Amino acid sequence: MQYSLLLPEIILAGLGLLLLALDLTASSKRSLAVAGVIGTLATLVAVVSNFGVTATDIWSGTIRVDDFAQYFKLIFTLILGLVFLFSGEYLEKRDVKVGEFYILVTFATLGAFLMASSLELITIYIGLELLTISSYVLAGMLRQDPRSSEASIKFFLMGALTSGVILYGLSLLYGLTGSTHLVEIARGLAGSTNTGLIMAAGVFVIAGFGFKIAAVPFHMWAPDTYEGAPTPVSAFLITASEAAGFAALLRILLVGMAPALPQWQTILAVIAFVTMTFGNVTAIVQTRTKRMLAYSAIAQAGYVLVGIAVATPESVSAMLFYLLVYAFTTIGAFAVVIMLSNHIPNEEIEDFKGLGQRAPAFALAMTFLLLSLIGIPPTGGFFGKLSLYRSAVDGGLVWLALAMVLNSAISVPYYFGIIRNMYLAEAGATSTALAARTGLKLALGIAVAATLLLGVFPEPLVGFLRSIQVMP
Amino acid sequence: MTLTLIVFLPLLGAIVSLFLPKENHDIHRKWALIVSLVTFALVLGMWGPFDASNPGIQFEQRANWIPSIGVSYHVGVDGISYPMLIITGLVSVLAILASWNIGHRQKEFFAWMLALQTAMYGVFVALDYILFFLFWELLLVPMYFLIGIWGGPRREYAAIKFFIYTLVGSAIMLVGILATYLKAGLGTFDILAIAEQASFDPRFQFWAFLAFFIGFAVKVPIWPFHTWLPDAHVEAPTGGSMLLAGILLKTGTYGFFRIAFPTFPEGADAFKWLMALLSVISIIYGALAAMAQKDLKKMVAYSSVSHMGFVTLGLAAAAGAVAQAHAAGDANVVSQLLSNGSMALNGAMYVMISHGLISPLLFFLVGSVFYDRAHTRMMDEMGGYFTKVPVAATILAFAAFANLGLPGLSGFVGEFFTFVGSFPAFRTLVIIAALGLAITAGYHLWMMQRVLMGEGKKGESFPDINGRELAVSVPLMVLIVLLGVYPALALGILDPAVSQLVLKLGGM
Repeated sequence: MQYSLLLPEIILAGLGLLLLALDLTASSKRSLAVAGVIGTLATLVAVVSNFGVTATDIWSGTIRVDDFAQYFKLIFTLILGLVFLFSGEYLEKRDVKVGEFYILVTFATLGAFLMASSLELITIYIGLELLTISSYVLAGMLRQDPRSSEASIKFFLMGALTSGVILYGLSLLYGLTGSTHLVEIARGLAGSTNTGLIMAAGVFVIAGFGFKIAAVPFHMWAPDTYEGAPTPVSAFLITASEAAGFAALLRILLVGMAPALPQWQTILAVIAFVTMTFGNVTAIVQTRTKRMLAYSAIAQAGYVLVGIAVATPESVSAMLFYLLVYAFTTIGAFAVVIMLSNHIPNEEIEDFKGLGQRAPAFALAMTFLLLSLIGIPPTGGFFGKLSLYRSAVDGGLVWLALAMVLNSAISVPYYFGIIRNMYLAEAGATSTALAARTGLKLALGIAVAATLLLGVFPEPLVGFLRSIQVMP
Repeated sequence: MTLTLIVFLPLLGAIVSLFLPKENHDIHRKWALIVSLVTFALVLGMWGPFDASNPGIQFEQRANWIPSIGVSYHVGVDGISYPMLIITGLVSVLAILASWNIGHRQKEFFAWMLALQTAMYGVFVALDYILFFLFWELLLVPMYFLIGIWGGPRREYAAIKFFIYTLVGSAIMLVGILATYLKAGLGTFDILAIAEQASFDPRFQFWAFLAFFIGFAVKVPIWPFHTWLPDAHVEAPTGGSMLLAGILLKTGTYGFFRIAFPTFPEGADAFKWLMALLSVISIIYGALAAMAQKDLKKMVAYSSVSHMGFVTLGLAAAAGAVAQAHAAGDANVVSQLLSNGSMALNGAMYVMISHGLISPLLFFLVGSVFYDRAHTRMMDEMGGYFTKVPVAATILAFAAFANLGLPGLSGFVGEFFTFVGSFPAFRTLVIIAALGLAITAGYHLWMMQRVLMGEGKKGESFPDINGRELAVSVPLMVLIVLLGVYPALALGILDPAVSQLVLKLGGM
């Protein structure tokens, strides 16, 4: 067995343990963030060096190393690194236990790694639990804030329930086919005539992962959790946790349940449509920044779901592209929110007033990120959405493509609500210049640069994604 | 290479201006003017090498951009887009001069003005769907800020309404673009290649044309997609109004010339009656609405709706003439009908050019020259300006006469061509549209009577038009006269490309 294939996981697990030790010994908490960034960079190198490897099953088929998994690990690692960069000041100001935060977020990422890197149901499930149990704690880390506790407890109750739902769906698949390996399951389902049970398994899997990615009508926990959780945690959940849900859903539906997939297309398309529309419409009326971004995340999950609903190789690569752009864009937007929240703790949309004057660079960066979220060229968000539209039209779901583009227009009022506040409203009397630590600035710079770069020069990534298959 | 330079020089200028000191207001406007002038000079420099007799694309440049899906950076100009580039360059320079004394946040203002230029030039030179769409969307962002930050009292509402309306239109157009790309099956987003090589069945052409129609109709705007226009034009700062009316509206009609008509001739055929009908409604409705306004700027805004109706009428008539030519058997009749079509299209282009000169002049006078002095735009509160500010008043009268289509000025030529070319195709509709001319004359004359003549407020006195204001007005006036008495100046460039488009429409 080649340990090099597992190197990313090994480094990440080592990083988690190192942080645990450092938390006990190090005098300055900043050294943890530094160690975190270095560890993430090492993980990144390991992930990237595994690209192009022949798809390999290791550990009796429980771990699958292929470009699909590596790509998701790349996304998770980037998110983790940016979280390490931008969280410090926020955590210190809010009196959060910094060490525990870094440790938990690292292990949560490890869980996400496992979810993307397996074709075996039990491993996927263990990854999921590692990710979500760490997340429950992370969501409640603002111990003085009742909203944070509420976020955590809601998240925990719903999460525990949905984990059960998923497990039940997975057990049905096992019962039907006698295997927990998705390739075997697909083989078993192809010959199975037990459509009722296959249907039931599909319902449980889609409903369960629907909760994880906050698809409507399984989204109820999300706005409260994303709003109440510490802001860096919200950013992590909206990006990494959601992407991990998509990775697992892609594998289970497109590999394991591939024979039954055509029956699900309409249902998935309707879920995608309802999710994006509900998220966008509800986001319009929000006044609190994180709650608005939470509904925006729901809407964005709807866009990504289009990729699964269409279920063609093009739609999957469009989806993968979009997930990366979305991670950068959202993390960048959260970096600005965190910067602002370090000065004005309320996190109201009104806080953005006059930011164009008070912090021109931050405002400009935020504008690019919001334009990317709407899907205005030349940002990565535009190209990602374009690829999704294209795959939908090509896959015969023209109505869904139309619904998507109209949803982009619906999303303008609330994304522009921030832009309007930043530029059109004049800064109040308290218009002091806003400062931020280097780490946060660096994270924001990386996010914006990547967002723009992916929009102007998408070709390298597009070309690479073409070679990625869910199941080789 | 020239075109690339023209497109991106203003954007580069905008980026550089971000690093100029914020406090020094003078440096920003000067920088913006210099960059705009250099760009405009580059555009004018193409006049010599531009071969007017060649109906095809010139100054072409192509490079792979996203080869895996067939997106290329492909730019070029022909007789249809080159005149639009000239108008863009001229009005951009003048709009910056017109905004010389903008009140606050000068640095941002001029940066957005420059960024807007890149988008405008880009739309007119792009020959790839994605590139076109990119510039098309980029038009929105600077204009949103120009209206939203420096606009009138209802600026925020007007800005977001403008943005959302256009975005809905362009979003539907984007689906049309993708459907066209996939249906063509050529693996390229190249506008010309798809227009030349792809063959679409009539059913598809119908739907694709509809998608593009909605996208362009919002921008033109064609009634009933026009409701954003009065808000945006009225609230926009003068420089923004000038560019909005002079250039941005033309990007909509230009889209019909460049994309919808050549690519979907049968779609154009299917929609010709609807388009003609909506155009005539726009002409009459715009004129009547203009007549009803008390606010001078709003009057000018509605007159834009009315005038853009002529452009779309000419477009519809070209499709109509081609349909008649198909029905006719005799070769002489066919060539006569096709020449009607060319005439209508030439007229439509001419109106675009002429309105691109007249409407900026009007918006400048109404929004700046007169407003800065009288501090009102309400016609009731004005009056007697012929005696108070004789030169400015004369220029306003000149602009009004140009706008109502007085022979000898550019407005007349375009409208005349459009009417004569359209008449054989849509007799009744054109007769009704001609009523619009009477209303147009009516509201302009009534406006002059209220604003320029009479006594006005007692004891009111203003300085007459100053040198800078003359520098904005005179170039436009000269061109309006020149194009009014010597139409061949523009027609020589337009006609080869337009005639080729008519042949393409007819599938010949």
